[in-house]
Amino acid sequence: MNDLIAEFEALRARFPPGFESSFVLPCLRRMHERRGYVADADIDALVALLGVPRIQVEEALSFYTQFRRRPIGRWHLQICRNVSCSMRGADRLLEHLQRKLEVAPGETTPDGRCTLDTVECLGSCGTAPVMMVNERYVENLSLTTLDRLLDELK
Amino acid sequence: MAGQQLLMTFPVTATSHGLAEYRARGGYTVLEDALHTRTPQEITQAVTAAGLQGRGGALFPTGRKWAVVVPGDGQPHYLVANADEGEPGTFKDRWILENAPHLLLEGMLLSAYALEARHCFIYIRGEFDLPYRRVAAAVEEAYEAGWLGEHIGGTGFACDILVYRGAGAYVAGEASGLLSSLEGKKSYPRNRPPRLTVRGLYQRPTVVNNVESLSNVAGIVAHGAAAFRAVGTQKSPGTRLISVSGHINRPGVYEVELGFPWRKFLEEDCGGVLGGRPLKAVVPGGISSKVLTGAETETLRLSHEDLWSAGSTLGSGGMIVVAEGTCMVRLLQIMLRFYHHESCGQCTPCRDGTGWMHRIIDRIVAGDGRPEDIERLYYIAKYNDGTTICGLGDAAGFAASGMLDKFRDEFDYYIAHKRSRCEGRIE
Amino acid sequence: MTEILINGQPVQARPDQTVLEAALAAGFYVPYFCWHPRLSIAGNCRMCLVEVEGRGLDIACNMPVTAGMRVLTDSEEVKAHRKAILQFITLNHPVDCGICDKAGECRLQDYYYTYNGERSKSVEPKLRSSKHHGLSDRIVLDNERCILCLRCTRFTHEVSKSKSLGVERRADASNIRAVEDGSLDRDPYSDNIIDLCPVGALQSRSFLYKARIWYLEPTPSVCPGCERGCTVQIWHRKAEWRLKALDPRQNTCIARVTPLENPAVNGAWICNKGRDLARIFERARAEHPMLKGKAVALDEAVQAARALIVAARRPAALVSNWGSNEELAAFKRHLGEMFATFVKIDAAPEPGERIADELLIRPDKNPNTACARALFGDGPPILPEGSDLVLVWGEGCDFATLPRGARIIFLNCYLRPENGHADVFVPLSTQTERRGHYTNFEGTVSEFQPCFSKPDSVADAAVLFEALAAPVQARP
Repeated sequence: MNDLIAEFEALRARFPPGFESSFVLPCLRRMHERRGYVADADIDALVALLGVPRIQVEEALSFYTQFRRRPIGRWHLQICRNVSCSMRGADRLLEHLQRKLEVAPGETTPDGRCTLDTVECLGSCGTAPVMMVNERYVENLSLTTLDRLLDELK
Repeated sequence: MAGQQLLMTFPVTATSHGLAEYRARGGYTVLEDALHTRTPQEITQAVTAAGLQGRGGALFPTGRKWAVVVPGDGQPHYLVANADEGEPGTFKDRWILENAPHLLLEGMLLSAYALEARHCFIYIRGEFDLPYRRVAAAVEEAYEAGWLGEHIGGTGFACDILVYRGAGAYVAGEASGLLSSLEGKKSYPRNRPPRLTVRGLYQRPTVVNNVESLSNVAGIVAHGAAAFRAVGTQKSPGTRLISVSGHINRPGVYEVELGFPWRKFLEEDCGGVLGGRPLKAVVPGGISSKVLTGAETETLRLSHEDLWSAGSTLGSGGMIVVAEGTCMVRLLQIMLRFYHHESCGQCTPCRDGTGWMHRIIDRIVAGDGRPEDIERLYYIAKYNDGTTICGLGDAAGFAASGMLDKFRDEFDYYIAHKRSRCEGRIE
Repeated sequence: MTEILINGQPVQARPDQTVLEAALAAGFYVPYFCWHPRLSIAGNCRMCLVEVEGRGLDIACNMPVTAGMRVLTDSEEVKAHRKAILQFITLNHPVDCGICDKAGECRLQDYYYTYNGERSKSVEPKLRSSKHHGLSDRIVLDNERCILCLRCTRFTHEVSKSKSLGVERRADASNIRAVEDGSLDRDPYSDNIIDLCPVGALQSRSFLYKARIWYLEPTPSVCPGCERGCTVQIWHRKAEWRLKALDPRQNTCIARVTPLENPAVNGAWICNKGRDLARIFERARAEHPMLKGKAVALDEAVQAARALIVAARRPAALVSNWGSNEELAAFKRHLGEMFATFVKIDAAPEPGERIADELLIRPDKNPNTACARALFGDGPPILPEGSDLVLVWGEGCDFATLPRGARIIFLNCYLRPENGHADVFVPLSTQTERRGHYTNFEGTVSEFQPCFSKPDSVADAAVLFEALAAPVQARP
């Protein structure tokens, strides 16, 4: 994580003074991008860098759905199950995913390829059903496009 | 087209979001002109006189919010654009972030000038990827062109905009929860008093405005309050970006002049109900607004006052169209599951109430409902109304009581027969 | 002053007060869980909802007083809302009263009977969670009972400043958790959160299942752990509940120690050392006077001591800075002329013990140095050359440093090998067996009262000093 310190300092320079506490979220996001999750050592490093109470970081990691303290599969499939997506077939797509990948939501395939999760509204209801694949939105899903997508994910 | 357009006034192409084309459309001339010829007070007066209402969901008059910030009080003021867009059914701020980011930036700059805000933030929900990249790119373009930073437009006005990404919490869309998150903590909303415009971000006066609200500011300053008021209705001037989804032929974001007839909009602009099915219900403004029956859309216009008079609200403008044959019990189940998942857990009625409502509706859907469950749901809704730290508790209650008010017989049927009257269909 | 109306009555409030503070001060009780006068406003329990005419209901703890406002604390709407809040709080709260230490002093119990009393409206099974979560070495957390008022968390952030508690997860899956680096174990004020907890979620491991609190009574006392002299309550079995069926030790032990609120000294808090007073007072007691290790009756020991005093040419005394004001004054009055008297430091900081901080803990780990020095000066306890009799009162004296050949009169409460080495040994009563006062480092005098009777064979120091000063009876 030491090589990220230069990035953090650049970030700090853009913010007004006294905003150290605010850097917790962007720093945690950056750690996810790098490692895929936040390790205990990362927490120590962040607390030392920012001078925030350690409990603040632990709470944030626990509170936000996008933060993890354990690694997951290479491809994070997060399918929306909220109202509009359900009304356009999300249930059937989820069922299909579960059958094809042989995992339940919250689980990772044994080969470490895919982690399946259900999520709430992603703000893309007009192109429902919608799924996130890592950072990307995949919209207007159908069984066909879903199968094609799964083939592409190695 | 659903009446006069103010925001969606240009064709969307692969490059129309960039600075060059925004400038070609006249972008940043309003800002430049205002910095040279108007005072901050004049900007605030224009926004107030225009009667702009917040377009995030609460519909609070923007000018009235701004008026609380005291000019020249010697402390930092902050302006925050709420791009956390999490209200299910809503995706119209995303349209602005992806296709008109500079419109937002120019609106923010004008507002920052009015509010004496040296630093501004765009708090964007963590899941948004393309919208984030477009906004971040627009901010960089603006810095390079001198519209952000020091000496903007060659004047003494300086302003920085920082884009801050959320990390997955609907409650971070609530203004005080947003600020808790922006301070790097869990997104717990705060009690008022004090109002955020008195003590907000790091206890400084802070204005939190919705993306669409801020995107209207340039137009108001350019053409004046009267011109804005000439659009829409007397009680809801201007336009709304409506997100249409669900059982509709042409889902998407539409700009609707306030006062436009509702059914006409659904049939003509949105192509009518999927499969030509009859219209059963519409959730007008995000699931936190009370559902209305299809029949009610025939007599109502899309205006704030029309929806209020019908006991609902246009809220976030997240319109979900429900066709005949849809099981409203299962729809409510999805909604209550959502509120349970998103409750921050801080205050008693919402923390315990959303969990309770979710477990009740799960039991009903599983075929184990009891007649008193209806009263229980109303009870929980009633004692979440006006008793909580933020509106999430109220909203969960509105979703439940709205459904029960309009579709009570469906719930009675499900409980009595232990199954859906519509075979559990939601597609 | 700002005048408001509460239930139709005019009430004078300070302009900076909240409606809750003004109401409580004026004698109108408004129930609350999360509010505490010494913590920030959380406003999360929603129990203090009151009605303001023209404005509807809102929480009183965060409501500024405004002139002319008309507050109703007992309207039908308010009552209905209180019942509803209690419905929500008890939705998943386990009915543990039969096995919960907090029973009898539980705010939830009290409010339930006062304001609700109805059955739960829920038919859902209660949510289960960890009932015995080790929050720290000293504190156990029952997550099912916790109502997430966040008093404990705010305490560690605002008062003890260890910042060692927070909330994990959200909604009704939220749990109080301690930070993962062990800070709560190192927070010397941690146990105050047990008092603060309005329900039985936070429990002291040392008090767990020891006694029902209605069998106990508190006696005001002073913690001798340092020169702050925090006032405390020592809880022990009520006289009428001292049952023959119980182990006698259970009838006469310190069940627990809690703070005795004292704005002048310790506010509402004490440190963990004060909680552990049993560790000090319940060490093995010296019960028998001795002459060179041989047990004798008290009279005989007193006579022997008097003889030594009369015979001594250069008697010196090391007095205890755990002696009360009364005992020290008695020494001065009766023996001060006879003895070259020095103040001894009975107790030093233990390894790992916090020396001092800005909250309560002071570096001098003795309760009455101020009074002892005022009476006997603050010179170091270095005995003059040629001292041939040393009266050692209290602990902390290394006998190896005493002059060789000097006779020793040793007065102490606890069982130690040195007791048998002294020429005369007299056992003393402890602080919990008598009344007295200590003077703290700021000159504040606080009283302690007796909780227990002293054993017959031990002496009260003040009485003993008078007896030692009497002329020796001529031998027949």
